[in-house]
Amino acid sequence: MRKRVPACFLFAAATAFAAQSYAAEVSQLKDLTSVIALLALPCGEVVSATETKTKEHMAVCKDGNSYRVYLNPEGRVVAQKQ
Amino acid sequence: MRNSLSLVSVLVFSMLLSQFMATSMAASLDPPDAVTNRQDAAEQPAAKQRTQPPIDLKLLETRLKETKAIGLFTKLELKNQVDDLVNQFRDYYQGRLKPATLADLRPPYDLLLLKVLALLRDADPQLATTIVASREDIWAFLANPAKFATI
Repeated sequence: MRKRVPACFLFAAATAFAAQSYAAEVSQLKDLTSVIALLALPCGEVVSATETKTKEHMAVCKDGNSYRVYLNPEGRVVAQKQ
Repeated sequence: MRNSLSLVSVLVFSMLLSQFMATSMAASLDPPDAVTNRQDAAEQPAAKQRTQPPIDLKLLETRLKETKAIGLFTKLELKNQVDDLVNQFRDYYQGRLKPATLADLRPPYDLLLLKVLALLRDADPQLATTIVASREDIWAFLANPAKFATI
């Protein structure tokens, strides 16, 4: 019984952490989906994204398109098709 | 030749359809009595239309910046598109947009507002409602050279 309690606690903590990370990831996916739509580029929905550099992401869309999304030196958001 | 003609007709149809959908979205986003009110307002003297307090653009801007409904990249891109529209107005007032008229700037204004509302409608409905209610006031502000000069 003593050994089960810490394991349960660790499992709950891990689940909470994963949920928070997933929530953050969902927000990022939604953000990238919105910005690609604002740029009038075909995508549908961003299903996965990888942060390659600070403020630069590689976004993969449901329709198969991939974009490198970043800020150019002028401060404009660019989504470059890969 | 036939293929290029059919491609052109598909493109024209897509453009017309997107314009129609944009107009439909604008109508569907309005509160139920807003259309009637807008029609009535057009017939009233200008003095009676300004019964609401003047719109606080700074407050609206702050609320847009702080809303959790929109992510960072989206906010930055919206800001760029707003700046582009404001620059178009500036070019118009400085005579660089001829032969365009002020009415030519209304469609891009409406489209930008639609984009903002589409982003806010579900996640920040209060701000979306504020923007819908302020749509004509914001246009009146932009379309007034004296007020626009204060931006």
